[in-house]
Amino acid sequence: MEEDEFFGEKTFQHCCAEFIRHSQQIGDGWEWRTLKDSSEGYMCKTHFQIKSETLMSHSGTSACVQTCLPIEEALELPLDDSEVTETTTGSQVIKYEYHVLYSCSYQVPVLYFRASFLDGRPLALKDIWEGIHECYKTRLLQEPWDAITQQEHPILGQPFFVLHPCKTDEFMTPVLKNSQKINRSVNYITSWLSVVGPVVGLNLPLSYARAASEDE
Amino acid sequence: MHYPIGLLFDLLASSSALPWNITVHFKSFPEKDLLHCPSKDAIEAHFMSCVKEADALKHKSQVINEMQKKDHKQLWMGLQNDRFDQFWAINRKLMEYPAEENGFRYIPFRIYQTTTERPFIQKLFRPVAADGQLHTLGDLLKDVCPSAVAPEDGEKKNQVMIHGIEPMLETPLQWLSEHLSYPDNFLHISIIPQPTD
Repeated sequence: MEEDEFFGEKTFQHCCAEFIRHSQQIGDGWEWRTLKDSSEGYMCKTHFQIKSETLMSHSGTSACVQTCLPIEEALELPLDDSEVTETTTGSQVIKYEYHVLYSCSYQVPVLYFRASFLDGRPLALKDIWEGIHECYKTRLLQEPWDAITQQEHPILGQPFFVLHPCKTDEFMTPVLKNSQKINRSVNYITSWLSVVGPVVGLNLPLSYARAASEDE
Repeated sequence: MHYPIGLLFDLLASSSALPWNITVHFKSFPEKDLLHCPSKDAIEAHFMSCVKEADALKHKSQVINEMQKKDHKQLWMGLQNDRFDQFWAINRKLMEYPAEENGFRYIPFRIYQTTTERPFIQKLFRPVAADGQLHTLGDLLKDVCPSAVAPEDGEKKNQVMIHGIEPMLETPLQWLSEHLSYPDNFLHISIIPQPTD
């Protein structure tokens, strides 16, 4: 409604449009989705990754004692204690979905993501955690407000993991101030996504940055 | 759901007699639809995240950021242990605003309707108009959810409910935010069909 702010929703949509234009040029897969009967929308991208997995099946009784194990999982465990084997399930295809939404509360973009197997089974946070590079893990653990939490997607209503947005303003302000100083245009979304994306396995080709500085 | 229980009741069962009978499932957790609740810490994290977001709207996060970790902890513990004074010692600071203003910067609210696709409506909305007049609940609805409010001389189709009551649409939003917010500092508003009896 109000746009007295630095990065309002209209600016968000404009930056996303520019971003998607470049994505289309290089076939990077980003799309814009609008909400029915509304001017609101968000950016999204889906990519598939093959992950090879090794599974250890649990020994029967001891796992059932863990209080945090959901009951249905416990019931599925082999009843025979001697069945502790290491099996390689081979390669698994994981579907990653990334959504970039605008937060009117913080007036910054927010990254929502989720991962699932092809049969629709979602990946738990600890499995996604494994896909994150070591150097980011330490940072995430040290700064809880940069942490990943599970939240309801504000438009779809389904559970997604979210990188908490409250520090975004802090790291984006110097980037934008500097770009003004050296008189070089910057796309907020490109800069922001290049910082937060890699933390969750989303990488941006360098050509986005070149495209941003060429605009206007 | 991780929604406040009062909100769930207003939205889904307001015509039910109390006590509200619910069915608890232990199998087939709907992974794709619901958030997991692994521990009490997860509830605390979710609660604090809502409080932070509310303060981002009310005070650009200034009040919550000026508080120490122990104040955040006291807010949570006060809620968890049902200690009104302990909770309000901290929460009252989140309900203050500068003397020169007439209210918060924006009002933290979410409007829920079971008939819509999206889980809730949340937008930026100021409690005070440019001319200094206080915006009302009716003003909010007309602006962000016009279908919920009946036309002037039309029949009332919906109830607008907060904490199980229907506040008058003329109530100033600033007042509602200060007095009828949930512990997470949000106004959780349910729009439900008018009961026919």
